[in-house]
Amino acid sequence: MADLYTFIMGIATWLMGLIGGLFDWLTLHGVGDWFRSPGPIAFVTVFLVALVVFIVGFLVSITLIWEERKVLGRLMDRRGTQVGVLGLFQNFADGLKAFIKEIIIPTEVDVWAYNAAPIILIGASALLMGLIPMSDSWTLANINGGLLLVFAIFSVAPLAILVGGWASNNKYTIMGGMRAAAQLISYEVPLLLSLAGVVILVGSFNLGDIVHFQEANTWLIIPQFIGFMVFMVAAIAEVERIPFDLPEAEAELVEGWMTEYGGMRFGLILLSEYIRGFVACSIAVLLFLGGWSGPSFIWPEIWFIVKIFIVFFVWIWVRGALVRVTTKQILSLGWTRLMPLALINLAIAIGLRMFGVI
Amino acid sequence: MAEMWINMGPQHPMTHGLWNLRVKIDGETITEAEPVVGYLHRGWEKLTEHRMYPQIIPMADRLCYGASMSWSHLYCLTAEKLMDIECPERAKYIRTIVLEAQRIGSHLMWLAALGTDLGSYTIFLYPMRERELFLDLMQNLCGARMTYNYPRIGGVRNDVPANFERDFTRVLNHFEKKLKDYEALCDESTIFRMRTEGVGMLTPEDAKNLGVTGPNLRGSGVDYDIRRDDPYDAYPDIDFNVCTRDGCDAFSRYRVRIDEMYESCDIIRQAIKKMPEGPHRLKPPRNAPKGKSAWAHVEDPRGEGLMYIIGNGDDKPYRLKVRSPIFVTVSASPVMLKGYKVADVPSIMGSVDMCLGETDR
Amino acid sequence: MAEPKKSRKSPKPKLIMARPMAVVGRETFRTSRGLNRPVTVLYPWERLVIPDGYRGRPALVMDKCIGCHICEKICPTGCIELIEVELPNKGKVERPQVNLGRCMICGYCAEYCPKNAMIMAPEYELAAYSRQDLIYDPFKLQYEDRPGLAVDIFEIKPSEIGMGSKGKSIKTAPPGMRDVPALEDKKCISCSKCEKVCPAEAVTMIEVGKNEKGRPIKRPKFDEALCVACEQCVDNCPKDALSMKEVK
Repeated sequence: MADLYTFIMGIATWLMGLIGGLFDWLTLHGVGDWFRSPGPIAFVTVFLVALVVFIVGFLVSITLIWEERKVLGRLMDRRGTQVGVLGLFQNFADGLKAFIKEIIIPTEVDVWAYNAAPIILIGASALLMGLIPMSDSWTLANINGGLLLVFAIFSVAPLAILVGGWASNNKYTIMGGMRAAAQLISYEVPLLLSLAGVVILVGSFNLGDIVHFQEANTWLIIPQFIGFMVFMVAAIAEVERIPFDLPEAEAELVEGWMTEYGGMRFGLILLSEYIRGFVACSIAVLLFLGGWSGPSFIWPEIWFIVKIFIVFFVWIWVRGALVRVTTKQILSLGWTRLMPLALINLAIAIGLRMFGVI
Repeated sequence: MAEMWINMGPQHPMTHGLWNLRVKIDGETITEAEPVVGYLHRGWEKLTEHRMYPQIIPMADRLCYGASMSWSHLYCLTAEKLMDIECPERAKYIRTIVLEAQRIGSHLMWLAALGTDLGSYTIFLYPMRERELFLDLMQNLCGARMTYNYPRIGGVRNDVPANFERDFTRVLNHFEKKLKDYEALCDESTIFRMRTEGVGMLTPEDAKNLGVTGPNLRGSGVDYDIRRDDPYDAYPDIDFNVCTRDGCDAFSRYRVRIDEMYESCDIIRQAIKKMPEGPHRLKPPRNAPKGKSAWAHVEDPRGEGLMYIIGNGDDKPYRLKVRSPIFVTVSASPVMLKGYKVADVPSIMGSVDMCLGETDR
Repeated sequence: MAEPKKSRKSPKPKLIMARPMAVVGRETFRTSRGLNRPVTVLYPWERLVIPDGYRGRPALVMDKCIGCHICEKICPTGCIELIEVELPNKGKVERPQVNLGRCMICGYCAEYCPKNAMIMAPEYELAAYSRQDLIYDPFKLQYEDRPGLAVDIFEIKPSEIGMGSKGKSIKTAPPGMRDVPALEDKKCISCSKCEKVCPAEAVTMIEVGKNEKGRPIKRPKFDEALCVACEQCVDNCPKDALSMKEVK
């Protein structure tokens, strides 16, 4: 596939040329020339590329939800969704349902905070999608601190969850929000430490550079196996999936901090959970599994998506087999088991780099 | 945060049935608990005062709809004691087989509910899939899947269908392999053990003083089983073990029920082999003598169920009283809950096997 | 009796979660491989096979019913009511009407019906749009009779215990299996009400003499072969002269 940016630039140039021609016809040549100058064209190009990347990321996330429902169904000896061809339309049906539901806001909530929480959550998640490159040509933002930026935005979620839980004015949501915040904050540390090993071996935070390093040498899962395991556990905890989904424990707290949200707000929150899952899977693929590298008979973008599906399949497998872990056990697991493992992993990475193995 | 009272229920995804558990929490620790039952009260004992003796049997089915054969069988035992008749031998063996199959079905439903409480829908669906097999066996026998209306005063409703032995043997062989799967999903999962070991401690003295019976009592190490200590039906002729565990926690209560499922398979196989030929139903008298009373107790899947009946001289009873095991165990729940976290409430109450139908009657 | 054996060993976890993952993984691949299907039945496109003797809704075989009120008496919820209908060859008769909204599908009406006119039909898709639609009058209650749908009672009498008998059907057995009405001679006033209300035509009034005014004294004679023990005569006797005598 040709470079995405230049491709869209061509489309933008044509589009702006049309609009400029319209103004030329109205004999407003100055405005027409302004439309055809490089500045607005670049602006429109970036806008269109962002739109395309967002839509593709959105569709892949929705396909992840489909994969979860089908695989979880077969795992429990039942069929998954059946709406449409192979069940692919179920998520759009759910989205439509969320749209047409009645908007009920409880009386005593803090209105600004209540409305702000899902906006912060979905905004951060959508921003993350733009930072994930799917191949050399499909890169919206090639930033030298890409990895750091991704995790900085990833960590905005506990804020949104706390705000949402508190603003709902409900004993259960407050408890759910606090549990969620405690869990997410305490798992940030092993998450970032496991990445530190990769960064030391590669020498750069740029996601594209990490993939080129793996293409040149070896998939980093081999020297950094402990780091991969720690990352997977911490990522499942960060995205709040079973076995770490006590904040949304249906058995005790109905829906946890999301109880008072209905309609499209709830739809957006659910979507943002899956987008964060998509982002965490894609970071795992980029950092440990070689990113988009693979035999060249398929586009690198397709390889990337296939690898994401395989990692997510392991996550679904874990979800089907295990029960929920309680808060005390989650926190003790994070601090007493994962942190030392992450530190050992870091030591291994430093050792490998110092002795010139990699 | 200050101490506050939380209402878990009556509308709640966790509670198996319609009851309210009020807990007083200090942060995440429970300091007091107060169960509130009575939302499902249907006035059962009063309704039976206006029904003829055979008409009460399908009503007894609806006392606990999860283990319905056990309750209608208990009522038939009580009525037979009142009218001084004894059912034929073949009926006793059929009743034993059906009761043990009902015990397996009830324990499977308990395991499924425990799975949803702990968050794993896989542990919900696998036992439900096997329970379908047992429901199909019952459907072949008496035509219904849940409220059977099968025992009668003086025997059982109809004789066993063709292929009874073949069907039961196939199902039991298949089921014992699946029990190993459940052990793999639950016993051999470190996380499940972390959730259930060491929570919900109920010491043997507390259990005996509070009147807890059944698997909850045997999970605390007390060796008491009515099938062995005061046998009824065909149990005197059958060899089986009484399963106890010494852990006193939720994991022991879980393990006792899994052991009981293995034992029930053995009991059914022995009973099928030993079943004699003969009639399956005896004609009961229409009326019971006035002022005469009788009682009978059985080992219900949830504990000791007991019924006490007083005759009125005509074909309706004067009073019928039910002692439900879970009504007593619910009052023991504050002892089991104090000092643990809110997140432990589903595992503790799930290991107790609540069934609201018999609690509220 | 039971001897205490060692209780079963509980298997230990290995590698935190190896065994649950293995079991679940095996199930995933088993249900997706080849022609294996999950255990789900895609209702309403696929349906399960209904076994014999399944208890669906109560149903009526109109030709066999004699209007004896036994099903009305035995129903625990009181959902059966006998109403007057006009039948082509029998005129005005009483036939049962079932309120399916109250019915608990216990099967007693089919079990106790002496002529096997009430059966349990294997229909289970009974939803309706209003409560009125759930009251099935005798014509809506009908069902095509098939062998195997009727429920029968095979009992032994208390006097037959231990004699090796397998039990006789009380519906088709010779007399001696069913309770019969017994007359208290002093109370009878020869009104012949019992002969009029008997649905099975088992009562005939026999003249046993003449009283002082010259009118005949009639006493009912019960035909044990035809009597179905419906207790209509007992309920309708104005002087309570009849009662059911139980067979031992």
